[in-house]
Amino acid sequence: MRLGRILNFVLLVIFVFLIPIFFRSSNYYLIVLILCGINIILTSSLRLIASVGQMSMGTMAFAGIGAYTSAILMMKLGFPIWAAFPLAGFIAMVVAAVIAFPFVRVTGIYFAMLTLFFGEVVRLVISEWSSMTGGTTGLFGIPSIGTLSFFGIHIDFAHLLPYCYFVLIVMVLTLLILYRIDRSHLGTTLAAIERDENVSASVGINVIKFKVITFCIGCFFAGIAGSLYAHYLRVLNAETFGLFPSIYVLIYMVAGGRKKFSGPIVGALVLTVIPEMFRILKQYQPLIFVAVLFLVLFFMRGGLVDLPEKIRSRVRTVNEGRASNA
Amino acid sequence: MWGGLWQGIFNGLASGWIYVLVALGLTLIFSIMRILLFAHGEIYMLGAYVVYYVCVKGGIHFFWALMISALTLGLLGIILEKYMFRRIRGEMEPAVLAAIGLTLLFQTLAVIAFGTYLKYIPSIFPGVLKLGGVRLSWDRLLVVLIGLVLTLALLLVIHKTKVGKAMLAISHDPEAAALQGINVNRISSLSMGIGCALAAIAGGLMGSLLQLAPYMGTFAITKGIAVIILGGIGSILGAVLGGLILGLVDSLVALFTSGTIAAIVGFCVIILILLIRPKGLFGHD
Amino acid sequence: MLETKGLTKHFGGLSAINNLDLNVNAGEIVGLIGPNGAGKTTLFNLVTGFLHPTSGRILFDGKDIVGQKPHAIARLGMVRTFQLVRILHDFTVLRNMFAASHLYPQIGFWEAILNTSRYRQKEEQINSNIIKILHFVGLSDLRDTVAGNLPHGHQKMLGIALALAAHPKLLLLDEPLGGMNPVEVDTALKLVAEIRKQGTAILLIEHNMRAVMSICDRVVVLNFGTEIARGLPEEVKQNKEVIEAYLGAGKRAAKSERHKSPLRQS
Repeated sequence: MRLGRILNFVLLVIFVFLIPIFFRSSNYYLIVLILCGINIILTSSLRLIASVGQMSMGTMAFAGIGAYTSAILMMKLGFPIWAAFPLAGFIAMVVAAVIAFPFVRVTGIYFAMLTLFFGEVVRLVISEWSSMTGGTTGLFGIPSIGTLSFFGIHIDFAHLLPYCYFVLIVMVLTLLILYRIDRSHLGTTLAAIERDENVSASVGINVIKFKVITFCIGCFFAGIAGSLYAHYLRVLNAETFGLFPSIYVLIYMVAGGRKKFSGPIVGALVLTVIPEMFRILKQYQPLIFVAVLFLVLFFMRGGLVDLPEKIRSRVRTVNEGRASNA
Repeated sequence: MWGGLWQGIFNGLASGWIYVLVALGLTLIFSIMRILLFAHGEIYMLGAYVVYYVCVKGGIHFFWALMISALTLGLLGIILEKYMFRRIRGEMEPAVLAAIGLTLLFQTLAVIAFGTYLKYIPSIFPGVLKLGGVRLSWDRLLVVLIGLVLTLALLLVIHKTKVGKAMLAISHDPEAAALQGINVNRISSLSMGIGCALAAIAGGLMGSLLQLAPYMGTFAITKGIAVIILGGIGSILGAVLGGLILGLVDSLVALFTSGTIAAIVGFCVIILILLIRPKGLFGHD
Repeated sequence: MLETKGLTKHFGGLSAINNLDLNVNAGEIVGLIGPNGAGKTTLFNLVTGFLHPTSGRILFDGKDIVGQKPHAIARLGMVRTFQLVRILHDFTVLRNMFAASHLYPQIGFWEAILNTSRYRQKEEQINSNIIKILHFVGLSDLRDTVAGNLPHGHQKMLGIALALAAHPKLLLLDEPLGGMNPVEVDTALKLVAEIRKQGTAILLIEHNMRAVMSICDRVVVLNFGTEIARGLPEEVKQNKEVIEAYLGAGKRAAKSERHKSPLRQS
């Protein structure tokens, strides 16, 4: 049975890796793929944090920390990419660890408010610290992650197709780790904490420790996603990592559904692709998010990932009705 | 230097009263409906724009424009309560998400409908009262007056009227209140209406003092949440003191450092309060 | 095993527990009784770290545990159940048990993620432990039922099973028989006796007097946070003060109904 799972997984990965080749002639689709990959990482990392019952409104703040870290390390301190990239995640994680200890003792809506205000502090610090971050004008000329040469093959990641593969590889690795956390005993522990902290404590679960760890891991991946974004766009600006972008990630997660592991993936995909597909004015884009959000809140609490099931049960009741009338 | 300080204090008090009005609405809605209306800032913004269009484009006097705005947004609040929030009452997560959705909706519509260029409402009482080197603009004095009057009115309603007492009952224990025969639905609608009306007036006043922009709501909700954290959720006195303190701090700190650093300091203080004493000064939830 | 010395807890002006000296020795079943509001659950909360005492000492196996968190105290071997049954309602019985099997064996972060063979071994171990415990409490057949769908009596048994998964040396049962019919009570009492036979000491809060009489080695009676009697069940039953306390409480309960938080009842 395990072999079947591994086989499914391998097929899925192969499918995922064939898509960029399919679109290789179109820069536009490659960009959409890159953004999908980044958003999937962000949304799935938020799901991890939410799985212990914490609503973080600061996802993009940590993405911003990661983005600026890897950009600054490469530009100002000459770090090579293979150091700057993981450091982006680690610095984001360290910052997360520092605030996690006091923050996780606080529950529910207060935790959300804390992350909201912290996110604002991060955004303001980025815009104020112009010597490092370019302040409100932004950071330009971020280097690409470089080139790779082996066996006579030369890959330049400044081009979209190779970079798209880089993003997808990172995404697959991220999802693997998050999936393992979810499926393992650790995931059951986290789910128990979300449902009843008192019972969990009474059987020996150190609730604070686990909340801190999940928050840190989630923010690590947010930082990684930020770094991926920085080296794709090559330009950074504090506004990209403000409150509303964090809210968008939250909406992706809720829209997709946060109970199932695939929920955030579906949410991120749908809400990244649909605005692009309908090519409407940038001004109107948030309306799509609002529409999907309200649709899910009032008709499909479990998220879009439940849609196939809902359709199936609707079809079933219709068929039953038809059968009993026949 | 001293003149600058007193000027800062006066200006801070004026903007403080606007924060108070926003926080009052927010805390009222939270106490009765148990949801943090994240979209409250957008109501404030819409209130400002209604005043703008009615007063500037429609030629109606500012006071009447304020009242029309209050009524309109109050009505909007009642409709939102009846058709949206009543369905998800009691569940925190969907309510917050719905409020977030509304925020996004209103702000996007505002950008589309009103454009991103700043708009201005001309001064209703131009001129200043010069008092010992401090320029007390009539506009700002008016804001302070309106703020005081509305706060007192709210206090009267809550403590002296039957409706107000019902509100107090619901804020302490909604189930017990319902058992006592209080129509929780009607009171919730009313609270939402009052809360939104207060936000609308606050928006109109701020619009006349400074300017209007579609994103002014975000500013308002951040200040509103900060005030109720400082003053304590559910406390009118807390909202008043919190709003005034915050207004003063904002104004005075900005005298000495840049606006951004003042904002950073402000947020860090709020974070500390949330960590150390989440109840704030007078909170009791 | 468990010892409290001069344990006191004030809530504002109210004294919930007053200068209490209590002890439970290995292998004992001690009953804690008293009218509603006497402070019994408060005592449980204090002793397991859910509440901080105002003053006094709490010793477990000779070590002072005041100030320790509930999960650390569970790790030391003292585990409690909750009066209003607390289980994970949307999990199956089996998954509930998995969640509770946190301490033995301990699973490290990296081995869980990398799905190492040692991790899988540990999962096997947990699995067999769970099967044993479920069989012990009689819930084996219901292992795939969603916990929230179980009848009340079974939910209480699950609560006990969860506590057992933490391998307690001392088990604190908070009204385990509440809401059970006589058949369930019988089964539960047999279970409690078995638990003691397997080497776990038990401190039991109960209102069901017959049960207390039949199973407890000795009994401590609380009223208004103070101990008013202690000794063998038979002696305590005849104690005049104890009878007065219960009658008085009955009168008070008839007069008013106070709303209390779940952590503070009895």
